Amino acid sequence: MTKAYPFEPEEAPPEYRGIPRIDPVLCIGCGACANACPPNAILRIDDPENGTRRIVLDVGRCIRCARCEEVCPTGAVRLTAEFEAATDDRSDHVEVVELRLARCRGCGKYTCYTERQVEKVLSLIPRGILDFDRVREKLPLCSECKLKLTVLNATKFGEVEP
Amino acid sequence: MKSLWVFHVNTGACNGCDIEILDVLTPYYDIERLGVKLVPTPRHAHALLVTGPLTRQAYHAAKMAYEAMPPKPRIVIAVGTCACSGGIFHDSYALRREYRESLEYPLKGGTSEFLPVHLYIPGCPPRPEEILYGVALLKNIVEKKVRGRRFSEGTFVLPRESFNAWVEVLLRARIRKELGYFDGYSLLRRFMELVESSESKEELEKLVEKTINDEGDSRLRYGLEKLYSYYLEVVRTYEGILAAKRALVGLPK
Repeated sequence: MTKAYPFEPEEAPPEYRGIPRIDPVLCIGCGACANACPPNAILRIDDPENGTRRIVLDVGRCIRCARCEEVCPTGAVRLTAEFEAATDDRSDHVEVVELRLARCRGCGKYTCYTERQVEKVLSLIPRGILDFDRVREKLPLCSECKLKLTVLNATKFGEVEP
Repeated sequence: MKSLWVFHVNTGACNGCDIEILDVLTPYYDIERLGVKLVPTPRHAHALLVTGPLTRQAYHAAKMAYEAMPPKPRIVIAVGTCACSGGIFHDSYALRREYRESLEYPLKGGTSEFLPVHLYIPGCPPRPEEILYGVALLKNIVEKKVRGRRFSEGTFVLPRESFNAWVEVLLRARIRKELGYFDGYSLLRRFMELVESSESKEELEKLVEKTINDEGDSRLRYGLEKLYSYYLEVVRTYEGILAAKRALVGLPK
């Protein structure tokens, strides 16, 4: 029997790897998916002057290998069962998630990670083992301020506290 | 347009898309219902069906085929991710492509390097249904389903509380080694829901036992047992560290 497909709706099988979608509620903008993607279908574009980071997913270059789903730490990228992605305009394939970069505590410039990443990292610290407040004080620092702080702490080595 | 006669050009594809095009012609999918016919020469064709990322060798043949087509309607259909944007071969030395900044989107490459493309059908390879859908879209039988989406920062949800989030990160790596990501991550999500819903250790043990007994799949049963033993191990380590630290600092319990 011939399928009646374009005239009747069709569901993909349950484990079918269709086009990927980013959930903007869960995405922290770490760019793990952009690092793992073999055809570079996901880009991570930083804009340090305006303080935004864009995660850009292009379905038209995706090969549905699900590496992004495998590495995503929050489960934001998922492969859906949708497969009908044909279009006459390539900009229909693009999905952009825009996130804010965190500001450095020391100099006030934008750092190279997002505010959501800071929240995620802070949520992972088990209470009682590490000193939470000291980690919280240090966390949004840009690389230069981090370097200065490291040097400053290193010079304190050997000093006897009263 | 009533019926579309197509000429198929392979510009360096891996043959995956070509096999799917062959599938579409079989009686099960039967694209000839929509009036599509594969013709052996571009002089008879209305549409060029291009697969592949456009290698330098194939460029001249594809251009000759395009120029041999009658001037109207001269439709170009890009089938497969490679033909849409370069796909997995986007960086290859053998492709014909212009120099461009890598951080612009939508990403360029493939057939649109030398031809105006009227229809993009992504997929690696696309399902036969997807090719059928694309042709139906060209003939205005169905509606377009994908749209470009843009989100700026709004609400943010952290799925777990601090201790459970830490435990989940530790368990994720282990369950991925045992079951793989596809079954493992969904199983881990189920297990963490059990952990969050139970209040004491005894209750969790009962819940896990009940879930293991209800589960029909033996792989998932094995995974649940492993997860529970890992979970106990992590909790024991955490409590050990806490006790050692308390003893060191001299805090009361």
